Amino acid sequence: MIRIVTLSEFPPDVIDFVTRRLHAAYGMGCELEGEGEIPADALDDEQSAYDAVKVVDEMDDDVTLYADDKILYLTTEALTAPPGPMGRGPVDGYAQYGGGKALATAHGLADKGVPLEVGLAKRAAHYVGHLWDLHHCFDPRCAMHPGWSPGFAAYPEVALCLFDREKSERKIKLGSS
Amino acid sequence: MATKSHEPVIGDGSLHIGDRVVYPNQGICRITGVETKQIAGQNWEVVTLSREEDGATVMVPKGKVMGIGLRKVADVAAIDRVFDELAIPNTDPQLDWKVRHRENADRMTGGGLFGTVEVLKGLHALSRVRPLPQKERELYDNARHLLVGEIAAAMNIPLHVAEDNLDYALWPPSGMTRKGKPLPPATLGPPSPARPAAEEDLGFEDEELGGAVVAAAPAAHESDEEEEQPAAPAAPHKPAPEKEKSKPPHKAAKPAAARKARPAPAKKAAPPKKAAPKKSAAAAKKASRKPAGKTKAKGKR
Repeated sequence: MIRIVTLSEFPPDVIDFVTRRLHAAYGMGCELEGEGEIPADALDDEQSAYDAVKVVDEMDDDVTLYADDKILYLTTEALTAPPGPMGRGPVDGYAQYGGGKALATAHGLADKGVPLEVGLAKRAAHYVGHLWDLHHCFDPRCAMHPGWSPGFAAYPEVALCLFDREKSERKIKLGSS
Repeated sequence: MATKSHEPVIGDGSLHIGDRVVYPNQGICRITGVETKQIAGQNWEVVTLSREEDGATVMVPKGKVMGIGLRKVADVAAIDRVFDELAIPNTDPQLDWKVRHRENADRMTGGGLFGTVEVLKGLHALSRVRPLPQKERELYDNARHLLVGEIAAAMNIPLHVAEDNLDYALWPPSGMTRKGKPLPPATLGPPSPARPAAEEDLGFEDEELGGAVVAAAPAAHESDEEEEQPAAPAAPHKPAPEKEKSKPPHKAAKPAAARKARPAPAKKAAPPKKAAPKKSAAAAKKASRKPAGKTKAKGKR
């Protein structure tokens, strides 16, 4: 089961759309679990964005997870991540690879010209995919394609490529057994 | 029965218990010890490793540690060179699948960091020209998995941050620079021909697509046999839609299972065929033989 926790206010139809898309993408139950508050100390040094890694690690929630349950946090806040070898780049979420928690933001979707519900659903599917060890995909139509690439806006449908779909199915089956 | 030795020398002496190492094609492991195992009546000294990803135990005969390519996790300087290499766009992918397969297999078996980078970069460049066949898609994913794991281990950063950085180099977002030099922003690559019929499966198309029929492409991947044909750089499946257009729409839309389930009605339909004029029957016979001959000839080749 994918459990969604909202850290900002979203219209109910947007959340409904996201849950339906996630269910369609992974063939798994998906429901809104409740609301939460983004940890204040996760703000970065410049106080302009939240450190995505800190938000996920420090999130204090009372969601009970069973077996292969996953939590997806949704927010509208700007996110950042620790600098890597290439410096800082665009960040629209974070996921614990092979773990249980992921975070996706709706921040910046308006600039890309993608409707809120579609963009958020695509990001949500992307970060939930990382929870099942899916890596980035070169197919611009796949939800696992990097979010900053032009493929994100060019192909707004929320779908996985065949390879990622099969891989996620294998992982889900393995997890449930 | 296993007994622990006191002062183990692993490989050429550069590896120690507790070290994080890279096992070719397996990923990051930690050396947990050296043990003597009795296997088939013989005593073998084995180095035991624990794979970090899932905790699986790997045992390597002590004498083969260097031969299989076990090595320490790369240092930060090596990772920096990896990103220098990744940031140089590869515009000349190897199109000969036999050469490509042999080179990539050698690089992956060798287990070297830069070999894995070459595999990833080469397949990434190829994917910008045309979609990868299934086996190379798996190899691409495997190379990416190994590289992300090693970058994360070497830099002590989360896997997600490591993969994002890897793709900041491969698919540079606008404004991305490497050592002061601006990188050309990523362009749109060709989409894969195989499309999942996710929404049709779950019956959402009526609600959200307004009942519009979304044609699901055949789920077949490019097989290895297809690879033997010369690579067409753009629009690999152009002829297919033309064929579909020439066919009557109701025939093209019929599923294979439905066509298979037809033999009984065909028997009933036989008498009208006999009643048909001789000319048309002969023509039909000829037409039915032709494709069979063609397939036979193809098979022989």
